[in-house]
Amino acid sequence: MTQSHTLFRLLRHTLLGLATVSVLASCIKDEALNAECDITGIDAAWMAAHSSTIIGVPIIRNNMVAVTIRKGTDRSALDPRFTLTPGARLTFTDADGREVEGNGTQRNFATPQRYTVHSEDGMWAKDYHVAFNYPVPLGTCSFEDFRLDASGRYYTWFERDTLDGDDGERPCWASGNGGFAITGMGKNPADFPTSVLSPGYRGNGVRLVTRSTGSFGAMAKKPIAAGNLFIGEFVTGIAMSKPLKATRFGLQLVGGRPLYFEGYYTYSAGPVYTDEYQAVHPDLHDTCAIYSVLYEVEPDNVVPLYGDDVLTSPRIVAVARLTNPGEPTEWTHFRLPFVMLPGKVFSEERLRRDGYAIAIVASASQDGDYFRGAVGSELCIDELRIVWEGEE
Amino acid sequence: MLKRLLILSTTLATALCATAQTDHLADTDRNLERAAIMGWHVSLGAGFNIGGTAPLPLPREIRHIDSYDPGLQVAIEGRAEKRFLGSPWGIAIGVTLENKGMTTKARVKNYHMEAMNDDGTGEVRGAWTGHVRTKVDNSYLTIPLLATYRLNKRWSVEAGPFVSLRLHGSFTGSAYDGYIRDQDPTGEKMEVTSASYDFSSSLRRFNYGVQAGGEYRAYRHLAIRAQVAWSVNGIFPSHFGSVTFPLYPIYGRLGFAYLF
Repeated sequence: MTQSHTLFRLLRHTLLGLATVSVLASCIKDEALNAECDITGIDAAWMAAHSSTIIGVPIIRNNMVAVTIRKGTDRSALDPRFTLTPGARLTFTDADGREVEGNGTQRNFATPQRYTVHSEDGMWAKDYHVAFNYPVPLGTCSFEDFRLDASGRYYTWFERDTLDGDDGERPCWASGNGGFAITGMGKNPADFPTSVLSPGYRGNGVRLVTRSTGSFGAMAKKPIAAGNLFIGEFVTGIAMSKPLKATRFGLQLVGGRPLYFEGYYTYSAGPVYTDEYQAVHPDLHDTCAIYSVLYEVEPDNVVPLYGDDVLTSPRIVAVARLTNPGEPTEWTHFRLPFVMLPGKVFSEERLRRDGYAIAIVASASQDGDYFRGAVGSELCIDELRIVWEGEE
Repeated sequence: MLKRLLILSTTLATALCATAQTDHLADTDRNLERAAIMGWHVSLGAGFNIGGTAPLPLPREIRHIDSYDPGLQVAIEGRAEKRFLGSPWGIAIGVTLENKGMTTKARVKNYHMEAMNDDGTGEVRGAWTGHVRTKVDNSYLTIPLLATYRLNKRWSVEAGPFVSLRLHGSFTGSAYDGYIRDQDPTGEKMEVTSASYDFSSSLRRFNYGVQAGGEYRAYRHLAIRAQVAWSVNGIFPSHFGSVTFPLYPIYGRLGFAYLF
């Protein structure tokens, strides 16, 4: 009796000892201060106060903010307020070299202004360029304006408004390169799905290649990344979780009734067509996508077209689409008329109130947004142009 | 859980007693008796490891332990102890075959991670905020070298170093419901629903550490043993970038030993 009593006492003590060890081990330390330093948005009250001058949705990327404002709006003394990662601070360096509070301070946005966001823990800081741009309709896109992203690994493209002096950059082109970067598969800019083609048809062009995303992409059932380039925004944040919503097609860069979409291209399909599960489909042959879509937006609440409705949304007014691209190895010209959809009309009144948006979409794999296509499919494009009414 | 362990251990110990009694005239018995006269005592034990392969102290990046499952980790140990005549002191050396493993789910914030993909062509590097599931399943051949001290006829305590050779190892898991910042906290942000990883091939072959325990001699041939073994080197080499803090196997063991 005493023996078993002692035995249980021993057991109890041992278990208490073990419990102590595990309690020690599970001591959770105080939460570290935030290390992130993002501009997460523009202050809602500030936006509301300036709603009459702002067109569409501001573009907010990892290192820049671009707000489109009505042509002629005085931008020499704007005092934008931004929302930041909790605990972060926004500063800029003033003319005297002092670091001053950034939020709500008046600055001259005749040229883009640089801000710095400092993380709550003080360990990290990130620069942002903030621009207030006048809208300019899409013209001829020659792809001569590009630069490496902030991390220096892949190219990004922009258009230039030559009439707007120093603030000529219009960040209207987007690609999936930022998402591909995270897979670590791109060792240099030419390894990325979307890269500079030099020479192109004239000057530089763009090379779109469907790439393998490696074992990381395969784990997430996103085994390929189709080379793509489009007018709009690529939301890297949801590229893996909601890929069809990550491609936001179209911006309000409409200069009138679009008549034609033209340009030059070459294409060759990769040898092995695979699906999102990496299953091979010998019966399928990859093809590219080149099209432009004009669609209606509500100026007060601009909703873009997404990967799942860019060709099917009831808001689409007219489409210009290359239907049988084939596989030309020489630069091939295309000139596609915008075909009005049944029941749709082009309204000058809607145009005047910025009620239209336009998207240009190019992809090396037509079903790349569903992660179906052939690795190695290569589409080269150059000198794309929307011909507006009166320009022909 | 405790009940199950007790039942299992008792069954095992009873079985050991039964086999030992049937051939008590064998030569081995005589050898054992001779060894005992010279102060050598041989025992065969079995037990269960319960613990964690964990960083100590827990780094700040770990915000919450969502779940912990010790699994069933078995240890079998043969041991020879030399007791010095007229002294409570002794030394013991053992050979142990054991599993050390666990499965945990934790929530982390701004956790630096690096991972090479299967064919080495790409490397994901960044700061992860979200959930992490970790499954460790390692088996070791462990050799403890212990100083023993007898408190009285029934109780003794022991402590000493050990070395472990990993026979088999698996370190797998997944990162889910969170986001990664490319390269560092200033990089592009990307939500991740689920991504699995396997760092088994990077595990160290050797571990060493210290252990301490106690023995209660319940019957002439049966003792209950408890110990804690603490590895002082981590399971990954220090230059291993995917897990930025050392993970130390810290396991307690509860078991029975048959004393020959």
